[in-house]
Amino acid sequence: AAGGGKRSRLSRSWPTGPSKSLSGARCCGATRPGRTRTGFCNLGQDEFLDVIYWFRQIIAVVLGVIWGVLPLRGFLGIAGFCLINAGVLYLYFSNYLQIDEEEYGGTWELTKEGFMTSFALFMVIWIIFYTAIHYD
Amino acid sequence: MSTMFADTLLIVFISVCTALLAEGITWVLVYRTDKYKRLKAEVEKQSKKLSHLVYKTTIVVSCINIILPLWKRRWRLRKVKRHTNITEQTKNWKPNSGFLNYMEKKKETITESAGRQQKKKIERQEEKLKNNNRDLSMVRMKSMFAIGFCFTALMGMFNSIFDGRVVAKLPFTPLSYIQGLSHRNLLGDDTTDCSFIFLYILCTMSIRQNIQKILGLAPSRAATKQAGGFLGPPPPSGKFS
Repeated sequence: AAGGGKRSRLSRSWPTGPSKSLSGARCCGATRPGRTRTGFCNLGQDEFLDVIYWFRQIIAVVLGVIWGVLPLRGFLGIAGFCLINAGVLYLYFSNYLQIDEEEYGGTWELTKEGFMTSFALFMVIWIIFYTAIHYD
Repeated sequence: MSTMFADTLLIVFISVCTALLAEGITWVLVYRTDKYKRLKAEVEKQSKKLSHLVYKTTIVVSCINIILPLWKRRWRLRKVKRHTNITEQTKNWKPNSGFLNYMEKKKETITESAGRQQKKKIERQEEKLKNNNRDLSMVRMKSMFAIGFCFTALMGMFNSIFDGRVVAKLPFTPLSYIQGLSHRNLLGDDTTDCSFIFLYILCTMSIRQNIQKILGLAPSRAATKQAGGFLGPPPPSGKFS
Protein backbone atom coordinates (compact mmCIF):
# COMPACT_ATOMS: atom_id res chain seq x y z
CA ALA A 1 0.00 0.00 0.00
CA ALA A 2 1.18 3.56 -0.57
CA GLY A 3 2.99 5.05 2.43
CA GLY A 4 2.16 8.41 3.90
CA GLY A 5 5.76 9.59 4.19
CA LYS A 6 8.81 8.50 2.24
CA ARG A 7 8.60 6.72 -1.06
CA SER A 8 8.94 2.99 -0.82
CA ARG A 9 10.00 1.38 -4.04
CA LEU A 10 8.80 -2.07 -3.00
CA SER A 11 5.40 -0.78 -2.02
CA ARG A 12 4.84 0.71 -5.44
CA SER A 13 2.73 -0.86 -8.04
CA TRP A 14 4.28 -2.47 -11.06
CA PRO A 15 2.79 -1.80 -14.48
CA THR A 16 1.54 -5.36 -14.66
CA GLY A 17 -0.06 -5.30 -11.26
CA PRO A 18 -1.22 -2.05 -9.70
CA SER A 19 -1.25 -2.03 -5.94
CA LYS A 20 -3.99 -0.75 -3.67
CA SER A 21 -3.77 2.62 -2.04
CA LEU A 22 -4.85 3.25 1.54
CA SER A 23 -8.29 4.20 0.35
CA GLY A 24 -8.63 0.79 -1.23
CA ALA A 25 -8.84 2.07 -4.77
CA ARG A 26 -6.52 0.64 -7.40
CA CYS A 27 -3.76 3.12 -8.03
CA CYS A 28 -0.82 3.06 -10.40
CA GLY A 29 1.58 4.64 -7.95
CA ALA A 30 0.27 7.84 -6.36
CA THR A 31 1.87 8.17 -2.97
CA ARG A 32 -0.57 10.43 -1.22
CA PRO A 33 -2.94 8.32 0.82
CA GLY A 34 -6.52 8.80 -0.17
CA ARG A 35 -5.56 10.81 -3.22
CA THR A 36 -6.36 8.65 -6.19
CA ARG A 37 -6.86 9.93 -9.68
CA THR A 38 -8.67 6.90 -10.97
CA GLY A 39 -8.64 8.21 -14.52
CA PHE A 40 -4.87 7.77 -14.57
CA CYS A 41 -4.41 5.27 -11.79
CA ASN A 42 -5.79 2.38 -13.80
CA LEU A 43 -3.38 2.91 -16.70
CA GLY A 44 -0.56 0.54 -17.54
CA GLN A 45 2.85 1.69 -18.68
CA ASP A 46 2.02 1.96 -22.39
CA GLU A 47 -1.22 3.77 -21.79
CA PHE A 48 0.44 6.28 -19.50
CA LEU A 49 3.20 6.91 -22.04
CA ASP A 50 0.47 7.50 -24.66
CA VAL A 51 -1.05 10.12 -22.37
CA ILE A 52 2.35 11.81 -22.08
CA TYR A 53 2.76 11.60 -25.86
CA TRP A 54 -0.56 13.27 -26.69
CA PHE A 55 -0.12 15.84 -23.96
CA ARG A 56 3.17 16.79 -25.63
CA GLN A 57 1.49 17.16 -29.02
CA ILE A 58 -1.17 19.45 -27.55
CA ILE A 59 1.51 21.59 -25.89
CA ALA A 60 3.36 21.76 -29.22
CA VAL A 61 0.24 22.97 -31.07
CA VAL A 62 -0.61 25.56 -28.40
CA LEU A 63 2.91 26.93 -28.18
CA GLY A 64 3.28 26.93 -31.98
CA VAL A 65 0.15 29.08 -32.30
CA ILE A 66 1.21 31.46 -29.50
CA TRP A 67 4.78 31.80 -30.76
CA GLY A 68 3.55 32.38 -34.32
CA VAL A 69 1.01 35.03 -33.30
CA LEU A 70 3.22 37.03 -30.90
CA PRO A 71 5.62 36.55 -32.83
CA LEU A 72 8.51 35.03 -30.99
CA ARG A 73 11.57 34.70 -33.17
CA GLY A 74 14.93 33.05 -33.11
CA PHE A 75 16.60 30.56 -30.86
CA LEU A 76 14.64 31.95 -27.90
CA GLY A 77 11.47 30.50 -29.34
CA ILE A 78 13.00 27.06 -29.78
CA ALA A 79 14.63 27.07 -26.35
CA GLY A 80 11.42 28.33 -24.77
CA PHE A 81 9.47 25.50 -26.34
CA CYS A 82 11.93 22.84 -25.19
CA LEU A 83 11.96 24.16 -21.62
CA ILE A 84 8.21 24.55 -21.36
CA ASN A 85 7.50 21.19 -22.97
CA ALA A 86 9.92 19.27 -20.78
CA GLY A 87 9.16 21.33 -17.66
CA VAL A 88 5.38 21.13 -17.81
CA LEU A 89 5.41 17.38 -18.36
CA TYR A 90 7.98 16.86 -15.63
CA LEU A 91 5.92 18.85 -13.14
CA TYR A 92 2.84 16.95 -14.25
CA PHE A 93 4.11 13.45 -13.66
CA SER A 94 6.48 14.25 -10.83
CA ASN A 95 4.57 16.71 -8.65
CA TYR A 96 0.95 16.36 -9.67
CA LEU A 97 0.66 12.60 -10.30
CA GLN A 98 3.64 11.81 -8.04
CA ILE A 99 4.46 8.64 -9.91
CA ASP A 100 7.61 6.66 -9.43
CA GLU A 101 9.50 7.42 -12.64
CA GLU A 102 11.39 4.13 -12.44
CA GLU A 103 8.17 2.21 -13.01
CA TYR A 104 7.81 3.83 -16.41
CA GLY A 105 11.43 3.48 -17.50
CA GLY A 106 12.94 6.47 -15.71
CA THR A 107 12.72 10.24 -16.05
CA TRP A 108 14.59 10.17 -19.35
CA GLU A 109 12.06 7.78 -20.93
CA LEU A 110 9.20 10.00 -19.85
CA THR A 111 10.99 13.11 -21.03
CA LYS A 112 11.83 11.78 -24.48
CA GLU A 113 8.45 10.15 -25.08
CA GLY A 114 7.09 11.92 -28.16
CA PHE A 115 9.53 14.81 -27.84
CA MET A 116 10.90 14.81 -31.39
CA THR A 117 7.45 14.47 -32.94
CA SER A 118 6.14 17.31 -30.78
CA PHE A 119 9.16 19.43 -31.71
CA ALA A 120 8.54 18.91 -35.42
CA LEU A 121 4.83 19.66 -34.95
CA PHE A 122 5.66 22.81 -33.02
CA MET A 123 8.00 23.96 -35.81
CA VAL A 124 5.36 23.36 -38.47
CA ILE A 125 2.63 25.23 -36.58
CA TRP A 126 5.00 28.05 -35.67
CA ILE A 127 6.13 28.47 -39.29
CA ILE A 128 2.56 28.34 -40.62
CA PHE A 129 1.20 30.96 -38.22
CA TYR A 130 4.26 33.16 -38.55
CA THR A 131 4.05 33.07 -42.36
CA ALA A 132 0.27 33.60 -42.37
CA ILE A 133 0.12 36.51 -39.91
CA HIS A 134 3.39 38.35 -40.52
CA TYR A 135 4.13 37.68 -44.15
CA ASP A 136 0.79 37.15 -45.82
CA MET B 1 -4.31 34.50 -49.52
CA SER B 2 -0.82 34.98 -50.90
CA THR B 3 0.93 32.43 -53.07
CA MET B 4 3.48 31.70 -50.36
CA PHE B 5 0.90 30.82 -47.73
CA ALA B 6 -1.04 28.74 -50.25
CA ASP B 7 2.18 26.81 -50.95
CA THR B 8 2.66 26.27 -47.20
CA LEU B 9 -0.79 24.77 -46.80
CA LEU B 10 -0.36 22.72 -49.95
CA ILE B 11 2.84 21.19 -48.63
CA VAL B 12 1.13 20.26 -45.35
CA PHE B 13 -1.67 18.66 -47.36
CA ILE B 14 0.83 16.77 -49.54
CA SER B 15 2.57 15.54 -46.40
CA VAL B 16 -0.69 14.23 -44.94
CA CYS B 17 -1.53 12.48 -48.21
CA THR B 18 1.89 10.88 -48.56
CA ALA B 19 1.79 9.70 -44.93
CA LEU B 20 -1.62 8.10 -45.55
CA LEU B 21 -0.33 6.59 -48.79
CA ALA B 22 2.69 5.11 -47.01
CA GLU B 23 0.51 3.60 -44.30
CA GLY B 24 -1.91 2.32 -46.93
CA ILE B 25 0.85 0.57 -48.86
CA THR B 26 2.27 -0.86 -45.63
CA TRP B 27 -1.17 -2.09 -44.60
CA VAL B 28 -1.74 -3.83 -47.92
CA LEU B 29 1.68 -5.45 -48.03
CA VAL B 30 2.39 -6.06 -44.35
CA TYR B 31 -0.13 -5.23 -41.65
CA ARG B 32 -3.02 -7.34 -42.89
CA THR B 33 -0.89 -10.50 -43.32
CA ASP B 34 -1.25 -13.26 -40.73
CA LYS B 35 2.49 -13.66 -40.41
CA TYR B 36 2.91 -10.03 -39.33
CA LYS B 37 0.03 -10.21 -36.84
CA ARG B 38 1.41 -13.39 -35.33
CA LEU B 39 4.95 -12.03 -35.05
CA LYS B 40 3.78 -8.75 -33.55
CA ALA B 41 1.72 -10.53 -30.89
CA GLU B 42 4.68 -12.81 -30.14
CA VAL B 43 7.09 -9.88 -29.78
CA GLU B 44 4.75 -8.05 -27.42
CA LYS B 45 4.19 -11.13 -25.30
CA GLN B 46 7.89 -11.84 -25.05
CA SER B 47 8.75 -8.23 -24.24
CA LYS B 48 6.29 -8.24 -21.35
CA LYS B 49 7.66 -11.57 -20.16
CA LEU B 50 11.20 -10.20 -20.29
CA SER B 51 10.22 -7.10 -18.30
CA HIS B 52 8.55 -9.31 -15.74
CA LEU B 53 11.62 -11.56 -15.46
CA VAL B 54 13.90 -8.57 -14.90
CA TYR B 55 11.48 -7.21 -12.31
CA LYS B 56 11.26 -10.55 -10.51
CA THR B 57 15.03 -10.84 -10.36
CA THR B 58 15.38 -7.31 -9.01
CA ILE B 59 12.80 -8.06 -6.32
CA VAL B 60 14.48 -11.31 -5.26
CA VAL B 61 17.90 -9.74 -4.97
CA SER B 62 16.53 -6.60 -3.30
CA CYS B 63 14.70 -8.71 -0.71
CA ILE B 64 17.88 -10.54 0.16
CA ASN B 65 19.74 -7.26 0.50
CA ILE B 66 17.01 -5.73 2.65
CA ILE B 67 15.93 -8.65 4.86
CA LEU B 68 19.40 -9.60 6.07
CA PRO B 69 20.21 -6.17 7.52
CA LEU B 70 16.77 -6.11 9.14
CA TRP B 71 17.44 -9.47 10.84
CA LYS B 72 20.80 -8.19 11.93
CA ARG B 73 19.29 -5.06 13.42
CA ARG B 74 16.55 -7.02 15.16
CA TRP B 75 19.09 -9.43 16.67
CA ARG B 76 21.17 -6.53 17.85
CA LEU B 77 18.24 -4.76 19.51
CA ARG B 78 17.07 -7.98 21.17
CA LYS B 79 20.50 -8.55 22.66
CA VAL B 80 20.78 -4.96 23.82
CA LYS B 81 17.44 -5.07 25.65
CA ARG B 82 18.90 -7.59 28.12
CA HIS B 83 21.19 -4.93 29.52
CA THR B 84 20.16 -1.91 31.57
CA ASN B 85 22.06 0.85 29.75
CA ILE B 86 20.58 0.54 26.29
CA THR B 87 22.21 3.66 24.77
CA GLU B 88 25.77 2.67 25.75
CA GLN B 89 25.40 -0.86 24.52
CA THR B 90 24.05 0.15 21.13
CA LYS B 91 27.10 2.33 20.58
CA ASN B 92 29.68 -0.34 21.36
CA TRP B 93 27.95 -3.56 20.44
CA LYS B 94 29.26 -5.52 17.51
CA PRO B 95 27.41 -8.51 16.07
CA ASN B 96 28.95 -11.88 16.77
CA SER B 97 26.05 -14.17 16.26
CA GLY B 98 27.08 -17.30 14.43
CA PHE B 99 23.87 -17.28 12.45
CA LEU B 100 24.22 -13.70 11.30
CA ASN B 101 27.84 -14.18 10.28
CA TYR B 102 26.84 -17.26 8.35
CA MET B 103 24.06 -15.34 6.60
CA GLU B 104 26.40 -12.45 5.80
CA LYS B 105 28.72 -14.84 4.00
CA LYS B 106 25.79 -16.65 2.46
CA LYS B 107 24.28 -13.39 1.17
CA GLU B 108 26.89 -13.17 -1.55
CA THR B 109 26.28 -16.69 -2.78
CA ILE B 110 22.50 -16.42 -2.50
CA THR B 111 22.52 -13.17 -4.48
CA GLU B 112 24.93 -14.62 -7.00
CA SER B 113 23.03 -17.88 -7.41
CA ALA B 114 19.63 -16.16 -7.68
CA GLY B 115 21.18 -13.75 -10.13
CA ARG B 116 22.83 -16.50 -12.22
CA GLN B 117 19.66 -18.53 -12.68
CA GLN B 118 17.56 -15.52 -13.50
CA LYS B 119 20.28 -14.16 -15.77
CA LYS B 120 20.19 -17.36 -17.84
CA LYS B 121 16.41 -17.13 -18.15
CA ILE B 122 16.66 -13.50 -19.16
CA GLU B 123 19.32 -14.23 -21.76
CA ARG B 124 17.20 -17.01 -23.26
CA GLN B 125 14.20 -14.72 -23.40
CA GLU B 126 16.24 -11.93 -24.98
CA GLU B 127 17.51 -14.29 -27.65
CA LYS B 128 13.96 -15.34 -28.54
CA LEU B 129 12.86 -11.71 -28.66
CA LYS B 130 15.78 -10.72 -30.86
CA ASN B 131 14.96 -13.48 -33.36
CA ASN B 132 11.32 -12.48 -33.51
CA ASN B 133 12.21 -8.83 -33.94
CA ARG B 134 14.50 -9.75 -36.80
CA ASP B 135 11.72 -11.71 -38.50
CA LEU B 136 9.36 -8.77 -37.99
CA SER B 137 11.85 -6.40 -39.61
CA MET B 138 12.24 -8.73 -42.58
CA VAL B 139 8.46 -8.73 -43.06
CA ARG B 140 8.34 -4.95 -43.04
CA MET B 141 11.26 -4.74 -45.48
CA LYS B 142 9.17 -5.29 -48.62
CA SER B 143 6.82 -2.44 -47.79
CA MET B 144 9.84 -0.20 -47.21
CA PHE B 145 11.12 -0.95 -50.72
CA ALA B 146 7.72 -0.20 -52.26
CA ILE B 147 7.37 3.03 -50.29
CA GLY B 148 10.92 4.08 -51.11
CA PHE B 149 10.29 3.56 -54.81
CA CYS B 150 6.99 5.52 -54.79
CA PHE B 151 8.37 8.33 -52.76
CA THR B 152 11.47 8.76 -54.88
CA ALA B 153 9.22 9.31 -57.88
CA LEU B 154 6.91 11.66 -55.95
CA MET B 155 9.75 13.69 -54.48
CA GLY B 156 11.27 14.16 -57.90
CA MET B 157 7.96 15.52 -59.15
CA PHE B 158 7.40 17.87 -56.19
CA ASN B 159 10.97 19.13 -56.28
CA SER B 160 10.53 20.18 -59.89
CA ILE B 161 7.18 21.86 -59.11
CA PHE B 162 8.49 23.83 -56.12
CA ASP B 163 11.98 24.44 -57.46
CA GLY B 164 13.20 27.95 -56.60
CA ARG B 165 9.97 28.86 -54.77
CA VAL B 166 9.94 30.28 -51.26
CA VAL B 167 7.14 28.34 -49.59
CA ALA B 168 7.31 29.87 -46.09
CA LYS B 169 9.20 32.29 -43.88
CA LEU B 170 11.11 30.85 -40.99
CA PRO B 171 10.81 32.71 -37.66
CA PHE B 172 14.43 31.85 -36.91
CA THR B 173 17.74 31.67 -38.73
CA PRO B 174 18.72 28.01 -39.14
CA LEU B 175 22.17 26.76 -38.26
CA SER B 176 24.65 26.80 -41.12
CA TYR B 177 24.55 23.06 -41.79
CA ILE B 178 20.75 23.12 -41.88
CA GLN B 179 20.71 26.05 -44.31
CA GLY B 180 21.78 23.62 -47.01
CA LEU B 181 18.36 22.03 -46.60
CA SER B 182 16.22 25.03 -45.64
CA HIS B 183 17.58 27.28 -48.41
CA ARG B 184 17.94 24.59 -51.05
CA ASN B 185 17.66 25.83 -54.66
CA LEU B 186 16.50 29.28 -53.50
CA LEU B 187 17.83 32.57 -54.85
CA GLY B 188 19.05 35.35 -52.58
CA ASP B 189 20.82 35.41 -49.23
CA ASP B 190 17.84 35.62 -46.90
CA THR B 191 18.31 32.53 -44.76
CA THR B 192 14.81 32.79 -43.33
CA ASP B 193 13.40 31.76 -46.70
CA CYS B 194 12.12 28.22 -46.48
CA SER B 195 12.36 25.72 -49.31
CA PHE B 196 9.93 22.92 -50.06
CA ILE B 197 12.12 20.10 -48.84
CA PHE B 198 12.71 21.53 -45.35
CA LEU B 199 9.04 22.15 -44.67
CA TYR B 200 8.11 18.79 -46.14
CA ILE B 201 10.55 16.97 -43.89
CA LEU B 202 9.22 18.76 -40.80
CA CYS B 203 5.65 17.99 -41.79
CA THR B 204 6.43 14.34 -42.41
CA MET B 205 8.22 13.98 -39.06
CA SER B 206 5.27 15.42 -37.20
CA ILE B 207 2.34 14.06 -39.18
CA ARG B 208 3.41 10.52 -39.99
CA GLN B 209 3.88 9.25 -36.46
CA ASN B 210 0.68 10.93 -35.31
CA ILE B 211 -1.24 9.28 -38.13
CA GLN B 212 0.27 5.92 -37.21
CA LYS B 213 -0.80 6.38 -33.61
CA ILE B 214 -4.29 7.55 -34.52
CA LEU B 215 -4.80 4.59 -36.85
CA GLY B 216 -3.30 2.22 -34.28
CA LEU B 217 -0.53 1.12 -36.63
CA ALA B 218 2.45 2.33 -34.62
CA PRO B 219 4.84 -0.43 -33.54
CA SER B 220 4.73 -1.19 -29.81
CA ARG B 221 7.28 0.44 -27.57
CA ALA B 222 8.60 -2.87 -26.39
CA ALA B 223 9.36 -3.94 -29.94
CA THR B 224 10.93 -0.58 -30.77
CA LYS B 225 13.08 -0.71 -27.65
CA GLN B 226 14.33 -4.21 -28.35
CA ALA B 227 14.98 -3.45 -32.00
CA GLY B 228 17.02 -0.37 -31.11
CA GLY B 229 15.56 2.96 -30.14
CA PHE B 230 16.21 6.49 -31.22
CA LEU B 231 19.47 6.78 -29.35
CA GLY B 232 21.02 3.51 -30.32
CA PRO B 233 20.90 -0.13 -29.28
CA PRO B 234 18.74 -1.14 -26.35
CA PRO B 235 20.33 -1.18 -22.89
CA PRO B 236 21.25 -4.57 -21.40
CA SER B 237 18.38 -5.87 -19.36
CA GLY B 238 20.26 -8.32 -17.18
CA LYS B 239 21.14 -5.80 -14.47
CA PHE B 240 19.94 -6.76 -11.04
CA SER B 241 21.93 -5.61 -8.06
